Amino acid sequence: MNPPHSPTPASVRQFLRQRRGSAGALDRYVTWFGLALVAAIAGKPVSSLIASMAGQPAPARMSAGLALVLLAFAGFVAAARAAGPVALPASDASWLLLSPLDRRGVLGRTPRVLVVTAVVAGALLGLGLLAVLGAPDAFLWRLAGALVLGVSMTAGAMALAVLEQASRVWDGWLGIALTALVTLAAVLSAAAVAAQTARPALTGAGLATGTGPLPGSGSATGTVASAAGIVPAAVHGVLGAVGAVAATPPAVVAAVATAAALVAALLVRRARATLGRMPARAVLAASTRTAHVTRAAALLDPGALTWIAEDNHWRARRLRSRRWPSLPAPAALAWHDWRRLARRPGRLAAMAASAALPAVLSRALGVTAAAPSSAAVAVTAGAVLAGALAMAAAVAAGARRDADNPALSRLAAVGLRPALAARAVLPALLAAAWTAAALTGLTLVGALPAGAWWAFGPAIAPALAAGALRMARRRPVDHSMPIIDTPGGAIPTGPVIWALTGADVALAGCLPALVALLTPPDDLAVPLTLQAVAGATALAAYLVRARKPRNDR
Amino acid sequence: MYEKSVVADDLHVALGGDPVLQGFSLSTAPGEIVAVVGPNGSGKSTLLRCLAGLQPVERGRVTVFGVAPADDAAFWRDVALLTDEPAWYPGLTSREHLELVEAVHGTPRMTAETALGLFELAGRADAPPQNLSTGQRQRLSLAAAFLRPSRLLLLDEPERGLDASFRVRLAELIDAYAAEGGTVVMATHDPALADRARRVSPAGQATA
Repeated sequence: MNPPHSPTPASVRQFLRQRRGSAGALDRYVTWFGLALVAAIAGKPVSSLIASMAGQPAPARMSAGLALVLLAFAGFVAAARAAGPVALPASDASWLLLSPLDRRGVLGRTPRVLVVTAVVAGALLGLGLLAVLGAPDAFLWRLAGALVLGVSMTAGAMALAVLEQASRVWDGWLGIALTALVTLAAVLSAAAVAAQTARPALTGAGLATGTGPLPGSGSATGTVASAAGIVPAAVHGVLGAVGAVAATPPAVVAAVATAAALVAALLVRRARATLGRMPARAVLAASTRTAHVTRAAALLDPGALTWIAEDNHWRARRLRSRRWPSLPAPAALAWHDWRRLARRPGRLAAMAASAALPAVLSRALGVTAAAPSSAAVAVTAGAVLAGALAMAAAVAAGARRDADNPALSRLAAVGLRPALAARAVLPALLAAAWTAAALTGLTLVGALPAGAWWAFGPAIAPALAAGALRMARRRPVDHSMPIIDTPGGAIPTGPVIWALTGADVALAGCLPALVALLTPPDDLAVPLTLQAVAGATALAAYLVRARKPRNDR
Repeated sequence: MYEKSVVADDLHVALGGDPVLQGFSLSTAPGEIVAVVGPNGSGKSTLLRCLAGLQPVERGRVTVFGVAPADDAAFWRDVALLTDEPAWYPGLTSREHLELVEAVHGTPRMTAETALGLFELAGRADAPPQNLSTGQRQRLSLAAAFLRPSRLLLLDEPERGLDASFRVRLAELIDAYAAEGGTVVMATHDPALADRARRVSPAGQATA
């Protein structure tokens, strides 16, 4: 039975616009002017970057690059799935969702936002694909094909995420896609690293002679073929396949891109059809997450995002209580981080696997100890330190919780410094192990000269633990800090200082290791000793200077 | 006219692996007021979410006016749900929030002006909800739920934050709604509200 007067989502939105006011002409002008300015500034560098993609790198380098692009795509898929992706502003979810209004109309702009997100991410993915695979001929065709393929992949993945959110029938498809992407990336990484680790030995033995191009591979495959008789057949096969993909004729690229676009269009059409039947509970859950994220963004407090991910994870888990070990008070307090880590074995495995990424990155950038390129070496060294700091920060949640809400630490009545020292142990151990593994990987692929580089892991670990604790305990962004006008634009110092807090101590404490990575010395003994002293000093200084947060004094 | 407004038969629901509802059954008639009572964590809110179709059940059957909760326009035309405090629109006053409900539902049970009077918010009509006290915000949420047309009212702890005198007014408003033929199912910890209703417990047995 229809009521005599049937309001529509459009009429309700008009009601809201009238009451709340909408963006004026000046606001719209500023937005479009800003976008035009960004396009004008970024246009030239981007076009030069695209033009530099002509040509073709070696297959091992392609394989490593492709692995990183696939991992980035997997990250996009995982983010789309975690976001909902169909969500509403919290107030719309409260007032319009559980109402007789047409569901598709209530969801309104959300599908358009998802399409724009997928197109932008897809264009970047396409450019990434072209950058790693190269374009030996018909550059414009390959560029167009890569862009269509990239957009098809992201649009298809976004549509799958919408379908999964709408119906249990589609449950699991994205999980399968994610597993396949990560597995493929792992295989490509392993092949890229294995090809390189075998090569120095071969070259030294005088065996690095070409045996002819691989079937289907392009002109750059001769170097791979040099090791073809010795590297395992599987590696040879993977690199051959990557070479074959890169050398695919433009007509085949066009056919594949067209097929991908058709599949994506079908998925998008199905996803669009389900919007009207999108379950309220799925949109409510996604909208609650969006509200937290929006609040964090509105307050410019990225730290709040950590809690959203953390709370969402544990809310969906069933835990079994286990007896707390009998430990000295500070260690008993810090045991929380150990138990939390043990309860997420998948996360621990992913963290361990990520230690291979610097080696893969070095292969994608073509870093070798014999002919180091300063920019590529700096990127690789930065990746090692950033990765190690991220590992340490990932297990410093206890310190973050204490700083945000000191009620529990007050109950525990443990002194600040003993508590922080105990909380530094796990980040330090994890950072040491991760860095040692990452540096061993870089040594194996020839990005670093032979030597005990792994020893820098334990040496930098205390500094990284200090940085992670400082990062965890930093206060929210102080927006009252001054804004500095520079020729390049205004720089708000509050967010900059917030972002640097933690990284500053880590960087200062890791300087000897960083210098050694950028300009590898012949003898590692001196930089290792310096690093051990610097690392220990950084942690000791941090602990001595640590103060309680203002709200807990 | 349906003989039964809500029928829940042998409901089983688990959250995060923990059983919350185990074999719960309920049947209500139009014009009836049901108070879902029980200690914290006994499944009162989960039951309301099941009746609203927002919580899938593992086993059992729910029908609202003869059909399963369908989460479509026809269902939400009949069912009003009030659980946690809603998210307020920034830049809208309390009166405008109620006018929004009028705009969404077309044929309200009462005007926004009447609702502001009934829920003792006339003096705060032009205040943004964020500036109201906890109890006033709860009254505004209740006003929105009572203003919109519905045949089933699902209320989760409607007494939350209300002072003693307004709780009496709320009981009268609920009685008036039921007298018009509407069904009210409310989870409550207020003994006075529960005394005016048929009590059920998510443990499965009627308590009075």
